[in-house]
Amino acid sequence: MMATTASVSVSVYEGAATLIQLVLVALGGPLLVGLMAKVKARAEGRVGAPIVQPLRDLRKLLTKERLHARHASVVLPLAPMVILASSVMAVAISPLVSTHPLLGSSADILVIVYLLLTGSAAAALAGLDAGTAFGGMGSSRAMTIGALAEPALLVAVIALSIQSGTSNLPGIMVSTLAHPDWVLGPSRLLALGALLIVVIAETGRIPVDNPSTHLELTMVHEAMILEYAGPELALVSLGEAMRLGLLFSLLANLFVPWGIATHPTAASIVLGTAFLALKAVLVALGVALIEVRSAKLRLFRLPELLAGGFVLSVLAVVTGLVTR
Amino acid sequence: MNATYISALELAAGAVLLSAVMTLWRRSVRSIVSMLSLQGISLSAVAIVLALHEHEHALLVTGCLVFVVKGLVVPALLRRVSRLDPRSRESRPLVNVPASLVFAAVLIVLAYVVGTRITALSATSATHLAPLGLATVLVGYFMLVTRRRAVSKIVGLILVDNGIALVTFLLTSGVPLIVELGSSLDVLLVVVVLQFLMVSMRHHSDTDRLTEMKALHD
Amino acid sequence: MLIVAILVIPLAMTIVAASFAWRPWIGWASASSCAAFLGLGIWLSVTTLSAPQWALHHSFRADSLSAFMVVVIGTVSLLATLFTPRTMGQEIASGVTTARYARHYVVLMQVFITCMLTAVLTANLGVLWVSIEATTIATTFLVSHRRTDGAFEASWKYVILCSVGIALAFLGTVLIYYAQLHAGGTVHSSSLDWTSVMSVAHHLDPNVTRLAFALLVVGYGTKVGLVPMHSWLPDAHSQAPAPVSALMSGVLLTVAFYGLLRFRAVAVAALGPAFPRALLLVVGVASLLLATLMLIAQRDLKRMLAYSSIEHMGLLAIGGAVGTPLAIAAVLLHILGHGITKAVLFLSSGEIYHLEGTTEIAKISGLLARRPTLAGIFGFGLLSLVALPPFSLFVSELTMARAEVDAGLWWVVAISLVCLSVIFAALTRHARHMLMGAGPGDATPSTLRASVAVPLITALVICVALGIVSWPLQSLLTHAAQGVMP
Repeated sequence: MMATTASVSVSVYEGAATLIQLVLVALGGPLLVGLMAKVKARAEGRVGAPIVQPLRDLRKLLTKERLHARHASVVLPLAPMVILASSVMAVAISPLVSTHPLLGSSADILVIVYLLLTGSAAAALAGLDAGTAFGGMGSSRAMTIGALAEPALLVAVIALSIQSGTSNLPGIMVSTLAHPDWVLGPSRLLALGALLIVVIAETGRIPVDNPSTHLELTMVHEAMILEYAGPELALVSLGEAMRLGLLFSLLANLFVPWGIATHPTAASIVLGTAFLALKAVLVALGVALIEVRSAKLRLFRLPELLAGGFVLSVLAVVTGLVTR
Repeated sequence: MNATYISALELAAGAVLLSAVMTLWRRSVRSIVSMLSLQGISLSAVAIVLALHEHEHALLVTGCLVFVVKGLVVPALLRRVSRLDPRSRESRPLVNVPASLVFAAVLIVLAYVVGTRITALSATSATHLAPLGLATVLVGYFMLVTRRRAVSKIVGLILVDNGIALVTFLLTSGVPLIVELGSSLDVLLVVVVLQFLMVSMRHHSDTDRLTEMKALHD
Repeated sequence: MLIVAILVIPLAMTIVAASFAWRPWIGWASASSCAAFLGLGIWLSVTTLSAPQWALHHSFRADSLSAFMVVVIGTVSLLATLFTPRTMGQEIASGVTTARYARHYVVLMQVFITCMLTAVLTANLGVLWVSIEATTIATTFLVSHRRTDGAFEASWKYVILCSVGIALAFLGTVLIYYAQLHAGGTVHSSSLDWTSVMSVAHHLDPNVTRLAFALLVVGYGTKVGLVPMHSWLPDAHSQAPAPVSALMSGVLLTVAFYGLLRFRAVAVAALGPAFPRALLLVVGVASLLLATLMLIAQRDLKRMLAYSSIEHMGLLAIGGAVGTPLAIAAVLLHILGHGITKAVLFLSSGEIYHLEGTTEIAKISGLLARRPTLAGIFGFGLLSLVALPPFSLFVSELTMARAEVDAGLWWVVAISLVCLSVIFAALTRHARHMLMGAGPGDATPSTLRASVAVPLITALVICVALGIVSWPLQSLLTHAAQGVMP
């Protein structure tokens, strides 16, 4: 009886935490995008759009007309839903607000990576489906970047899991909480560097990709979603913004997990939410500063950066192995 | 105290290998030389941390010597040398940069595999870090073989020397002082010799053609 | 005391050469300093027959092997320095170099010789490494002495390749030191003295020692000129002035090989004979095969001599691989014979270059008709090099073959015989082209100056003497071979 009440209250706690983090990331993702645009504008001496502008754009897009290319198949209208669904699923199982989200035992890095990959694959297929040159070009570029960034991501998280003894993300965070002296170890710092490069590649920020360009020479992600308009564009934008929020929050939580809720109490959930928001904002500010200070890399210099990220993650693994 | 000793040692040893990988990554000679300077300073930090922990004065002297020679003098000499060469960017390596980075990752894993067989003999926290030194040696050797510019070859040679010095410090807390003196002086002299050769060659003819080493053959 | 004197003499000569501007008397003085320490070396080899000598609080040690190496160094240096005044005079007269660089040349030669002596007389394996590294630095400038494009390229290649090799040898030395620290499972204070390493050699960890020995073979093997680390050798030895090539080919390669012999003793004690033998056989046979191939179509005289050095170093490595006392004694005799012969050949090639203006084999002909003494010396030198009786190289190669048969290495004997026959044919063909025929019609016959001919002929006579009667050296060689037995 006690056990079932306890397990019921635990699952209520898990459900509440998951719901809260879904809402937070759904609303906060576009806000983070707006924040980064504001920081870049200020750094360039402009006033820039208000931080809530992406949310306003989403609301505006939902009222507009749907438009499909003449030769598009069923992939084009389905892809935005897949993108959004994969992002929502990934957010739902990740340990952002608490270390026990719903289905948290399956929150392995491979699951989350493959969920995100499903979204990227859907976007790439949609780019091809419209039958335009820009779409195909954007898809191939995006897949190249993804192919180079995935190994770095996996190996970097392996480096973290060597030290923690588990590749379960909540497990990594719990063990880091128990050993504060690990934070400044060389293995962690190298993995942080590698993951930063991967996050910038996956979210399509400068120096990998410019999110506000529409020039053929430079666009990668924008080319894939060029054919979308109206509600479908809103779904895609929301999915991408949630993905950005997820990656930033994971980056922060893996390395600085303090503040995450570990006990099933309401106070810890509130605290967890607040700290998550704070950490995500800090990461977004950091990435925005990197964007301000660097120029977009030429396309054939991208493999250098991503290979560098891969080497950093291998270094993190080897350093982790020798310092065990 | 022990924990801070271990983390300081790990950080310094990791910095040595990281700066080696960064020299493979960066193209402009100025940033490569700064990485070398960082490597020299981290190497001396390893020696000094070990010396303070084991109360060995000879090793402390060695650490200060390494700081001066490999952290300050050698990078300064290299900067002077690279100013003589107007084209200061490595533009045509034999293996392009992304491929070299992936190859470097393979070499690092190889060094780890080989290194653990050696460190099985004596399992202290210092000897466990020896594979990092071996990895630096392999990365330096790779750079020596695959880069065309004279300065890049010199940098590769210095990386090999630094890696071996790191392994020496970690495995044996330094060899007898006279040998260490000889070794440091040797690195300095090799760089001086190479600089002298580059100056002489430059007065004579096209340096690149000579350092590509293709004219003399059978 | 004797050891200190042997080391002080070339050191003092360095200071003398550095303090005065170049004059021919400095060249003669350096030759007499070489004669002096050669004499002391012979005396030392007599005293070490009874027991190894120590000096300066056990930092220097001379056993029979070290004393023998001192004799080798002394003989070849004497030959090379006797030619210094003539070479420098010729080069200054033809404008190739200036008096300032001639002074650098003499100073660097003396530094080079001092470092080689330190390497063979030190008790410490680390100081051995430092002195061999110092020889690399000194010889780099000597190789680039003529300051031509070819000389610079050769010295660049030399310093890069040898520095990498030497660095690997240092890593190998450090690993041996590390193994000694933990020998037998206990940690104790250690030193890099060869004798203390040998005393615990049986307890060294096999994994570490295996890696260390492989690194040492690659590292010191680079300085010996073994394949595949040999690519600096033909360039460096062909671009350097003739006395420098003589010294480098004659002794520097073998001083590095001496280091390998010392480490081989440690490795055999720790690992048993199989692994060191296999490693040395691989590099030795590879060097022999490569040298054979490269000698067939060789076009340059000095490069031909350089590849012949690679061949002989391969033979030394094979002898070292066999490792029995007979084989090592043969190796040591071979070191002496090869050193003298190569010095004679390089010095006479220097004369040929001065008289003919080129070292290309195709452009040299009719030497026997026009310059009979020089041609005779060169011809007999080549006969010695291909190990014909009665020269001492025949004796040493025959003894090595006998030792290989005793050890059951029939295939090595077969390969060596085939290679040596091919090399004999190749060298004879090149020699015939250079010596026979009428030559360009404009050159008038000339006689060789006595100061050139006498040392070279004396050296060849010594080679013959060593080949006919071995008694002056027999006890020294057997004693020296015993010194590196585990």
